[in-house]
Amino acid sequence: MILIIGGANQGKKDYAIEKFSVSQWLDGGTCSKEEVFRAKGICHFELLVERLLQEQTDLRKFTEEVLKINPDIIIITNELGCGLVPVDAFARRYREEHGRICTYLASQAKEVHRVMCGIGKVIKG
Amino acid sequence: MMYLLTGGSGSGKSAYGEKKICSFGDCNRIYIATMENKDGESQKRVERHRKLRRGLGFTTIEQGKQIKSLQIPRGSVVLLECMSNLLANEMYGEGGAGERAVQEILEGIFRLNDMAAELVVVTNEVFSDLPVDREMGRYLKCLGEINAAIAREAAEVVELVYGIPVWIKGLKK
Repeated sequence: MILIIGGANQGKKDYAIEKFSVSQWLDGGTCSKEEVFRAKGICHFELLVERLLQEQTDLRKFTEEVLKINPDIIIITNELGCGLVPVDAFARRYREEHGRICTYLASQAKEVHRVMCGIGKVIKG
Repeated sequence: MMYLLTGGSGSGKSAYGEKKICSFGDCNRIYIATMENKDGESQKRVERHRKLRRGLGFTTIEQGKQIKSLQIPRGSVVLLECMSNLLANEMYGEGGAGERAVQEILEGIFRLNDMAAELVVVTNEVFSDLPVDREMGRYLKCLGEINAAIAREAAEVVELVYGIPVWIKGLKK
């Protein structure tokens, strides 16, 4: 698995398309859970995290299963949590849970790329 | 020596801080907890951190304000967590330093650093967002000022990115 992170609108997906020649990407905001087990790549993983938390799916268990069944997936996610603590309780939980699951993903990833201003830096691998 | 750890929410700062403290070997370990006014959610966070630290032999000091007044045994290794709470307490808490928050905190940090063999300060990367209002903007400016002043004196500044240490200052050993 390869993890690509970075702030919003930093060119993460364009970077990934060029770097890994994957043209079809699932959108975490709209895809089904089943699709994640077969996809080559998923973008907006943060939106999938948000949906899974809303429907109270066990995030860690789901992610572990994805990595077991689809170990070569490329995951693009927005690097949340570098702003002020949100007033809304769900938003607080969402950004913290997203951080924890990304920390797990980073620990399992073969490579972690961080994209800023369209430029990717390999921070692991 | 002083070490500054930063990172976003849920990025693994605490776990890394504990690892850093343990890397100094068998020393008197002190944990300075700055969180006050614990509601249910913060309490859960505190429990999580306690569980992480269990078995590492830390003495915990709860000090939400006036770290300048702390006395610690010389030669201790100290983990202070975290600066964003300490600043909020000093700026807005009862009996806090108010307008003098930045100065009081920095004096306290440098004093701690003189007493401690090693001091690891955990702060927070909260700057990549719109300030909600002017007051928030003032808070961020103060936190930024503190972070920069500590970083100037620190041997290492490390940003935790989802558990991965990214060196901002100092070289990875």
